[in-house]
Amino acid sequence: MRGTGLQTDLALSTPERVSLALPVAGIGYRSIAYLVDVLLLLLVWTVAFFLYTLAGRDLLEDYEGMSGLWKALAIIGAFATQWLYWTASEVLWNGQTPGKRLLRIRVAREDGAPTGFFESAVRNLCRVVDFLPVAYATGLLTMLLTRQHRRLGDLLAGTLLVREEKIDLDKYTRSGAVEALPVPGAAAAGLPPLPPAEVELLLAFLSRRPTLAPEARRRLAFRMLEHFAQGLPDSERAALGSSLEAAEAFLHSRAQGG
Amino acid sequence: MAEPLPDFVSRRRPQWEELSKLLEAQRSGSLKLLDLYVLDRLYRRASSDLARAQAFYPGTDAHRFLNQLCSTAYGAIYQPPRDRLAGLKDFYLRGFPCALREETRFLAASTALFSLGLLVGAAVVLFEPHGAELLVPAPLREAVAAKQMWTDSLLSVMPPGVAASHILTNNLTVTIATFAFGAAFGLGTAWLLLSNGVHLGSVVALCAREGMGYSLLSFVAAHGPVELSVIVISGAAGLMVGHALIEPGERTRAAFVKERSIKAVKLVVGCAPFLALIGVIEGYVSPGDLFPTPLKIALGLALGGLFWAYLCFAGREGHLLSRRGSGPG
Repeated sequence: MRGTGLQTDLALSTPERVSLALPVAGIGYRSIAYLVDVLLLLLVWTVAFFLYTLAGRDLLEDYEGMSGLWKALAIIGAFATQWLYWTASEVLWNGQTPGKRLLRIRVAREDGAPTGFFESAVRNLCRVVDFLPVAYATGLLTMLLTRQHRRLGDLLAGTLLVREEKIDLDKYTRSGAVEALPVPGAAAAGLPPLPPAEVELLLAFLSRRPTLAPEARRRLAFRMLEHFAQGLPDSERAALGSSLEAAEAFLHSRAQGG
Repeated sequence: MAEPLPDFVSRRRPQWEELSKLLEAQRSGSLKLLDLYVLDRLYRRASSDLARAQAFYPGTDAHRFLNQLCSTAYGAIYQPPRDRLAGLKDFYLRGFPCALREETRFLAASTALFSLGLLVGAAVVLFEPHGAELLVPAPLREAVAAKQMWTDSLLSVMPPGVAASHILTNNLTVTIATFAFGAAFGLGTAWLLLSNGVHLGSVVALCAREGMGYSLLSFVAAHGPVELSVIVISGAAGLMVGHALIEPGERTRAAFVKERSIKAVKLVVGCAPFLALIGVIEGYVSPGDLFPTPLKIALGLALGGLFWAYLCFAGREGHLLSRRGSGPG
C-alpha cells in the first residue's frame, strides 16, 4: 500500500508509544513545487511590469528618473524575491511555500516537528550550492542518492519534505444505492468475516464503480463475486450472478458485514 | 476478532473529524484555551485508534488516514518553542555573540585564509612586474593608471541610496555564498576567502605602488573594518559546515552536520543587520570627498571597535550587556 511501510517513510515514535510514518515527497513533487514557485514569482514581476507599461510609462526610462528611495526599494525587492521569499513563507506558513501548498507537501524536521526559522534559513541559503553547476544539478543528484530524497540544503538543515495525502473515508460509511436492494443481506449472513485487506479491496471497487467502464465493471464484479461468494449454496450464487445489481449489493453487504 | 473495518470507521469518525477541526483552528491561531483539553483527549484517542489500526487493519486507507491525522496532531502538540520577537531580541543580546565566541577556532582559520590571500595578492603585484595584469581587472588597472579613484564615479552614476542598496544586496550575496559553499567540504568557502583576499590584496598593493594608497584608504576606511569582519565571520560559518562534513567525530555525519549548520547559520543571520548598516555607510559616506579622510578613518575604527566589543562582550555572564534566558532554536 502507498504511504505506509515504505523504506522512504519518515518513521517516528510518539511519547504515546505509537509509531507514525510520514510519507516523504519525492523528486517529482519537489521539482513541480519549485517550478510553481518560480512561475509565481515570474508572474508577479511580469504582471507588475505590464501594469506599469499599461499605465503608459516606460519602465527603463522611469527607472532612470526614479528617486533614490524607490530605486533602493526595487533593488531590495528583487533581492527579497530571490532569497527571502522561501524562508519567509516557510516560517509563516507552516513549512509551505505557495507551490508546496498547491502540491500538498510541507517541510518538516527529521523529528516530525515543523521547521523553525534557522532550519529554514539553512536549507534556503543552500539553494545557491544546490543550483550548481546548472539547473539544480547538485540538488537533484543528492535527492537521487539519499533515501528520503533530500537535497544538500535539507541534509545540512536536518529537514525533509513530507506529503499530505487526501484520504477519502466516505467509502467506509457511504451507503450506496445498492443497500436499497433486499436480496443480499441474508445471503452473506452465514459466511465468515473477511480480513481487512479484502474489505479494503471490496470498498475500493465499490467506491470507484461509478467511474468504471460498464463492461470492466461487470467483469470485475463477477470475478469478485466468484471469490467472495465461495461457500454459498449453488442456487444462491446463481441468483447473485444473474444481475450486476445483485452482485454489487452482495459485495457491499460482504464488506460491511466484515 | 476485531470489529469490521467499516463499523470501526463509522463509530470513530466523528471524533477524528472533530480533532481535524481543532488542528485547523490551532494552525490558524483561533484555538481557545478550553479547546486544548479536548484536543489533548482527542489526540490520545486517535493515537490509540492508530495503534488499533496498525494491529488489525494494516495497509488500509483508514490506517493511512489515522497515521496522517496523528502526525499532524503530533507536530502541533510537540512543536519546539517558536522564535518570536522576544527570541529575536535575545538572539542579538546573547545568542549571536555567544555562538561566535564558541567558534574562535574557525574564526581564526577563516581570518588566516583571508589574510593569506591578502598577502599573496599583494606580494604578486609588488614583486612580479606583470602581476597586476594577472590579478587586477582591466578597468580597475586603467583607472589606477590614470590616477583616478574609480569609486569617485560611483556617486555620479547613482544616488547614494541606490548605491547603498546595490552594495547591501551584493554583500549579502557574497556572505551567503561564503557560508553556503562550506557544503563542498569547506573547499568552496576556503576558495572564496582566498580569492577575495587575493583580489583585495592586489588592488591595495597596486594603488600603493602607483601612489594612490591614500585615496584608496579614504574610500575603504569607513566601511572596511566591519565589512571584512563580516566576510571573515561568514567564512568561519562555512568552515564549520565543512569541518562537520569531514570530521564528525563520534557522532553520525548527518546528525553532526545538522547541528553545526544550524549553529553556523546563526552567525550568517546575525551579520545581516550589520551588513545593512555598513552598506549605507559604503553608499553615503565612503565615496568622494564629502567627508574628510581622517573623519572616515575615525568612523571606521569606531564602528569596527564597537562591532568587536559587542561580539566579545555581549551576553557574557555577569557583564553589563548580558541577560538571562536561553537562546532561540
